Amino acid sequence: MLSNPLALIAEITHRCPLHCVYCSNPLELASAKSELSTHDWLRVFAEAATLGVLHVHLTGGEPLARTDLTDLTAAAHGAGLYTNLITSGIGLSRERLERLVDAGLDHIQLSFQDSGEMHANWIAGTKSHAHKVEVASWIKEHRIAFTANLVVHRQNLDHLEEMICFLEGLQPDRIEIAHTQYYGWALKNRAALMPIRPQVHNAVRIVSSAAARLKGKIRIDSVIADYYARFPKACMGGWGRQLMLIDPAGRALPCHAAGVIPGLSFDNVRERSLEWIWRESDAFQKFRGESWMPEPCRSCDRRTEDFGGCRCQAFLLTADATTTDPACSLAPAHPVIDKALREVPIETASGSPTEWVYRANPK
Amino acid sequence: MAGPQDSSKPKLAAGCRWGGTEAARVVLFPEGAIRMQGTGQRVLELCDGERTFAEVVAQLQQEYSSADATVIRADASRFLEQLQEKRIVDF
Repeated sequence: MLSNPLALIAEITHRCPLHCVYCSNPLELASAKSELSTHDWLRVFAEAATLGVLHVHLTGGEPLARTDLTDLTAAAHGAGLYTNLITSGIGLSRERLERLVDAGLDHIQLSFQDSGEMHANWIAGTKSHAHKVEVASWIKEHRIAFTANLVVHRQNLDHLEEMICFLEGLQPDRIEIAHTQYYGWALKNRAALMPIRPQVHNAVRIVSSAAARLKGKIRIDSVIADYYARFPKACMGGWGRQLMLIDPAGRALPCHAAGVIPGLSFDNVRERSLEWIWRESDAFQKFRGESWMPEPCRSCDRRTEDFGGCRCQAFLLTADATTTDPACSLAPAHPVIDKALREVPIETASGSPTEWVYRANPK
Repeated sequence: MAGPQDSSKPKLAAGCRWGGTEAARVVLFPEGAIRMQGTGQRVLELCDGERTFAEVVAQLQQEYSSADATVIRADASRFLEQLQEKRIVDF
């Protein structure tokens, strides 16, 4: 029997004042004028709650770029959803944060690019770090959950310990250390962002010792470097199994990057109910369950744990969305991962001159 | 970290709250939700930030009078300690 989705990822806009080189948004960003109206989102949140969704993650782009964010938060909260804001903090004032908390915001996830201001701003392509530090102090004035998020890659991993100490000083309840996932802009910049093996190994050691040291005070969560892992990530907890993503223009996607897979058609919440989309839409059914699986997934014991990995990554790296995620060491296409890792330059000095493309803004 | 002291006043941590339906209660927290039922649900309901851990235990011992009082205390302590490590409970 088909279970209901547990969380709704609401990409409410692709507009963003930052230009992070590791951004996983699609290269083809949704334009401001294509964005769903306040009214549409209110209906989506009500439908989500009825469908059994528990959490809504307000993300983007930068969700604060929407002037109706307080209304959206109040509506999500009013529908009974646990409301999480995933933000850079740019666009937030002390007063605006207060209004969001009053509207029922449960959790705020604030991103950081680095511990040092110059380096952080270089990665973000924007002068943003100092404001984020100030935002963190405002968050601590409220009784909501606070996660400090840090995306790591070759350009900052050499001072991971220093970055964790910096985040600790902001007194979050949680720290999330996320290795860059190679989609969208991050994939475009992969050559500059991919860590080398010793950096990944050191990171594991540093994160686990920080987790032990901070146990009971700050919870540390991590997102793995899947190119270096033996097995792929359980992308989205399985296709069409737990999560539903609505993009700024109202398209319902089973995964952040699903728009890159040719031949998939995405239904729009402007035309269809969430329940219909979850149960009936072609895109959600395409890789749901196990019948689509090729070998070695089909007969693998891990198929119920990692669901064959990420369909979008399989497509991006092999041009075939139906093959085992190449990040899996058992995948026939795994050599493309080995090749990408062999091409990683050996020198790792942080802040060394780097060719990369900053994330653009939608037209 | 250890379990709560007798004088601790355990409560749901910031950003953690009850949700779900009357028939299927859950505790919601940033990364997910835990379905609550039976004694676990009762322990958490009593942890309102007003009662001390000693009072929570006394209440449980009264409600579950057929169970061993020492076991009730130890179980409640371990349960709260685990939730505290997940940053779901504060004490």
